[in-house]
Amino acid sequence: MTDDGNRFTLEGPLDTYGMSHVGKVRQVNEDHFFIAAANKALTVQQTNLDNVQAFNHLKQSEAHLFVVADGVGSIGGGRLASGTAVQALGTYIGRTMGCYYSFDVEGENEFLENLENAVQHAHLTVQREYSSHGKGPATTLTMATLIWPRAYIIHVGDSRAYYLRQGRLRQITRDQTMGELMIDEGIMTEEQVERSSLSSTLSSAIGAEILPSVGLIDLELNDVLLLCTDGLTRHVGDDGIADILQSAHSAKAACEQLVDAALEGGGRDNVTVVVSRMVSAEDN
Amino acid sequence: MIQKKICMVGMFATGKTSLVQKFVYSRFSEKYHSTVGVKIDRKQVEVEGTTVKLLLWDLAGKDEFQDVPASYLRGSGGLFYVVDGTRRETLEQLYALHAMAHETVGDVPTIVALNKKDLTDQWLLQRDDYDALSDRGLYTLGTSAKTGEGVEDAFLWLAAATIKS
Repeated sequence: MTDDGNRFTLEGPLDTYGMSHVGKVRQVNEDHFFIAAANKALTVQQTNLDNVQAFNHLKQSEAHLFVVADGVGSIGGGRLASGTAVQALGTYIGRTMGCYYSFDVEGENEFLENLENAVQHAHLTVQREYSSHGKGPATTLTMATLIWPRAYIIHVGDSRAYYLRQGRLRQITRDQTMGELMIDEGIMTEEQVERSSLSSTLSSAIGAEILPSVGLIDLELNDVLLLCTDGLTRHVGDDGIADILQSAHSAKAACEQLVDAALEGGGRDNVTVVVSRMVSAEDN
Repeated sequence: MIQKKICMVGMFATGKTSLVQKFVYSRFSEKYHSTVGVKIDRKQVEVEGTTVKLLLWDLAGKDEFQDVPASYLRGSGGLFYVVDGTRRETLEQLYALHAMAHETVGDVPTIVALNKKDLTDQWLLQRDDYDALSDRGLYTLGTSAKTGEGVEDAFLWLAAATIKS
């Protein structure tokens, strides 16, 4: 890492890793994850210009894309839905990522709308492929697009995004469940929701009804970003997650320990984690 | 169509998110959720014959752990400060936030929502406070995200101010 005078910048690839496990009860893993990097690079092959260094900043423009998705549906249907959604999302973003280089207000808003359009495209693709009268499989989808230091989060369902800073874990996303919706609308209390099944019923899902939540956060060096499906969070509390993210010496080690902790806690669901540490892989 | 980025700024738990939720989705929740980072919503409004798309950046409130990062404010076309009328310190801290924001985005249209107006028996702000805000050129409006009082008016006033600036 270097200090360019105004802010720290990352050099080299991020230390990022993803892992998915079927768990100890389910027969099929209906989760998917996706990690990708988009580069907008100008590589100077030959010139007689004196100052080739002027082009160096163009090589550093890089976006990182992290996605987790947890399929819901009849046997195998959830797997198809989450896989199709992630595939469609990746394809759409791969085709349209060009605008990420511009960051005035208009450009940033256009970029965010593009990410939302990608989620909408994934939603329509899942509906087109599998839905019959709105009864087809569906999937959660939590996506973080990191253009250092800003992470843009688009979220549908009850998978989660967290970040860890100086040992403190914060949940970035809010679960989109019927329970939360009932509380927000003032129709039910938290206690009533806890006694019902609504806390695990999705109010927003790719392939069904979607209301994507959009947010962002500026990360700092040594922060850790985590995306996960509820197969982790139903077995491992915030303190346990924070301890693992804090102590793990690499993103891979963090993923392994998180999955192990979920399995030790019962492994009743598929578990998927994507960890990205805001350090250069070279600094490990 | 004109697009304007509006930043919701204030101390934690003043009701920034509740005001946005009321304005955009017409809903109010008693449950408090601390915003992490920035939550973004959009709403299109008509002001004085012009369609304005408001990009509402709901910033995490300032608390003991975090300041309001100046980087979130850049490019703002308007600032929507929120004060909790039942907590004096949220007004006292506003002046420091305003100084920081002014340094970052300059002289952009600004409104101060004196929120939680429904809690009249706990209200702590007085005439002098309103005068102090006015002396600094800050337009104020009483709001209640719970009852909806003043919410639409506040956002529409700011939208109109942004297209005139």
